Amino acid sequence: MPLLTIATFLPILAGLALMALPDRSTRTAHAVSIAATGAVFLITLVIWARGIVAGDFAQVEEIAWIPAIGAAYRLGVDGLSLPLVLLTSLLFLLSALYSARVGERAASYVVLMLMLETASLGTFMALDGLLFYVFFEVSLVGMYFMIAGWGYEERQRAALMFFLYTLLGSLPLLLAIIGLYLGSGTFDMRVWVEGTTLGGLPATLALIAMLVTFAVKIPAFPVHTWLPAAHVQAPTAGSVILAGVMLKFGTYGLVRFAYQMTPEAFAQAGLVILAVGVVSALYGAFAALAQSDLKKMIAYTSVNHMGYVVMGVAIAALAAEPRIRTIALDGATLQMVSHGLVTGALFFLVGMLQDRAHTRRIGDFGGLLGRVPWLGWAFILSAFASLGLPGLAHFPAEFQIFLATLNGMPWGLIAILAIVITAALYLRAIAGVFLGEMNDKWADMPDLDRREKLVILPLLVLTVLVGVAPSWLIGMIHTTMTGLGN
Amino acid sequence: MEMGRDLALLAPELTLAAAAMLMIVAEMFRAARLVLAIGLAGLTAATVMTLPMPSVDATVFGGTYRIDLISGWAKLILLPGTALSLLLVRAEIAGRPREGSVQSLVVLVTLGALMLSGAGDMMVVVIGVVLTGLGSFALVAWPRDDAATEAAMKYLVFGAVTGSVMIYGLTFWFGGTGSTLFSGLGQLQGQTLVTIAGLIAIIVGLGYKGSLVPFHFWAPDAYQGAPVSIAAYLSVITKAAAFFAFAQVLRDLPRDGGWPLALAVIAAATMTYGYLAALVQTNLVRLIAYSSVAQSGYFLMGIVALGASGFAVPGILVFAAAYVAMNLGAFAVVLLAGRDLDDLEGFGRTHPWLGAAMVVFLLSLTGIPPLFGFVGKFYLLSAAVEAGFLWLAIIGILNSVLALGVYLRLVVPMYRELRPGGTQGRGNPLTLAVVLVVLVATLFMGLAAGLLPGP
Repeated sequence: MPLLTIATFLPILAGLALMALPDRSTRTAHAVSIAATGAVFLITLVIWARGIVAGDFAQVEEIAWIPAIGAAYRLGVDGLSLPLVLLTSLLFLLSALYSARVGERAASYVVLMLMLETASLGTFMALDGLLFYVFFEVSLVGMYFMIAGWGYEERQRAALMFFLYTLLGSLPLLLAIIGLYLGSGTFDMRVWVEGTTLGGLPATLALIAMLVTFAVKIPAFPVHTWLPAAHVQAPTAGSVILAGVMLKFGTYGLVRFAYQMTPEAFAQAGLVILAVGVVSALYGAFAALAQSDLKKMIAYTSVNHMGYVVMGVAIAALAAEPRIRTIALDGATLQMVSHGLVTGALFFLVGMLQDRAHTRRIGDFGGLLGRVPWLGWAFILSAFASLGLPGLAHFPAEFQIFLATLNGMPWGLIAILAIVITAALYLRAIAGVFLGEMNDKWADMPDLDRREKLVILPLLVLTVLVGVAPSWLIGMIHTTMTGLGN
Repeated sequence: MEMGRDLALLAPELTLAAAAMLMIVAEMFRAARLVLAIGLAGLTAATVMTLPMPSVDATVFGGTYRIDLISGWAKLILLPGTALSLLLVRAEIAGRPREGSVQSLVVLVTLGALMLSGAGDMMVVVIGVVLTGLGSFALVAWPRDDAATEAAMKYLVFGAVTGSVMIYGLTFWFGGTGSTLFSGLGQLQGQTLVTIAGLIAIIVGLGYKGSLVPFHFWAPDAYQGAPVSIAAYLSVITKAAAFFAFAQVLRDLPRDGGWPLALAVIAAATMTYGYLAALVQTNLVRLIAYSSVAQSGYFLMGIVALGASGFAVPGILVFAAAYVAMNLGAFAVVLLAGRDLDDLEGFGRTHPWLGAAMVVFLLSLTGIPPLFGFVGKFYLLSAAVEAGFLWLAIIGILNSVLALGVYLRLVVPMYRELRPGGTQGRGNPLTLAVVLVVLVATLFMGLAAGLLPGP
């Protein structure tokens, strides 16, 4: 069974079926959405159970597409993409559950969501450069309409900025793909990842193009400015998908394209990339500290966490010892998953808070823990995870990244400062929103209902599970990364 | 014997010419429906006759007219495009005086476009330019109001001047090679001055037809003055034909004259200027007119790479097919919505399917995958990179962002709340049918690009 193809196209087909249905009521739309994303989640679990292999892509599905130029429909998974695929299908399922109360043009909303899921899964599983680019760009279009159609007050401007910024960012990748194609005569990414397609100046130019694209997507300082605007205006599920899944396109591309396809040029530029990672980590933390809007604050902590991923990949290119390189890559990949779980939960929680209070300013709240204990404790747990507390999801990832940094480029450890700042800003947010004097305005705020608990619990459980016993996840990642590190 | 073979190869052109004559006869009896029927039948028959031919590579009448990959695909692109345009014309001006004349002229202009696409000789190019030109002037002037008359006048004067410059300049090539055949252009190796003189002639003559900057001034006025369906027709058929002719002429010219660089500069200027000008338009037809000027710049990227990249000719053909589909689609939606940007206000909410179709056309014009326009642009960009014009590819890519800015100016108001008193009506079924056909092409031909010529 071509499960990868089924998982990728099931959502969009469900969306098309919904459009063809005579009954496109809110209820039907959300039922289709939950059923489709649920089915995809189960399918990805089966893909996981079928397993991956060391040193190659597993479960490859291939059909000729444009034979004249060597482009084909090719999908496959390895230890880098499979964790992200699982994360994607989980977050889309939870988003579908959360969104079940969206009443405004529900059918269109659901179709866009499902289209985004197809694009996201396709981006992670594509093994053909042209196909990857197709999925990559389709996700952009979907997110634009998501923000423009269902966002908050300033959504038009934010959506336009998002679209122009990331399109400008993604077009250099097209040039890099053309370069890789002209160098190899095929669009097969399995050939490209051998890293011998381009050399010398072409490799450097391709690397620069790819770094521009992925830096915008990650987003790394100084091309991160679209992120806070897009997040603040996006609807909650849009924020979750944007942060949890679409930022990973950037870090995934950084490893799959930049690191694997132009390894020598990447190693030469390693110090610059490491510096970008360190600066992003520090800048994201400081910028988050300055925010009074909860959603904007969490958006900036994404810049911080993604900075660690960039550091990890850079260290992997710079370190001499294969063992260190593998540790760095393991940590970077795990960090992508952890960030998806933790930040996904945080955006859901802020969304739930906003649904109740219609504000996100820290100063407007106070003492909510007694009033909404579920919401409060869930936020506190996720916040602790986000600041890197041992026993929670970010700790094993960041620990490995810092361990590798210490062994490779000790000065990079300056980024640890960011953890202190993150701790400070989360404690401040927790104190401001959930502790202290209760604002009487919120005296009758309801706690999480069943559906909301159903959305948030899986993320909390996984946050703890990855923190306490990460080996099931690291094992899968490690299978591939040992090969990449050598 | 020779003559018989030539005539057999020319069957599609002859069929079309016969259809055009019959259309004029039918128009004498003011039988507009019959005119349309003959036109559609002729176009269909010519298309079907071309289907087995794309693999043929031959010349007829002593090398003056080429039956090859370019002219074969040109027929497969231009003939259906013309048929769709005829339907749009019918939808827009049905029952108005001289409807049949407009239909016959459209088919005659397409005949000229085919001449251009298969030109193997300087005189055939001249005939093609004149045939397309004369018909187009009359088509633009058809509404007989001040705007149309002025636009047609401008178009005519522009056409006359550029046409004369072209004929004068081509005499240099004739002098240099002793023949009017393009296949002899290889002998110009080393005669830089002569090469340049003829080249300028070609750039002026065909650049005007293809609305390249700085020969584009007639285009926005002509499109705005003409009926929308005629603007749609002129913007795709005569323009695509101009670039097919470019490809026929320049593929025999030695690349050492520096002309690729000169054309690359024009390409960069055309796309940038077109989109910048489109950014400030408030009239929909003018906006799309400037955006089609910009698209000409992308076509030219393929011309720049002729002879240096296997992507050049397939790129021009695939992009032409995509461009015909998506630009006709955009114009068809304008025909339904209205000529002003304000007419689009809330259009996507009152007409969800047409709105979605317009979004697809505009995204395809931007070059967003997996739509048809993306594949064309991708081939053209690859051609430019392979030919060593990385900077041109980068400018092309930057302009895609500008393009997005231009097209989002249409998309955003489409999904705004409908102001009171907005239009709700259903569209003309003919126009809707055209939209459906080009929508299917735009959506799926990108995925089926394996069917089209590749490198």
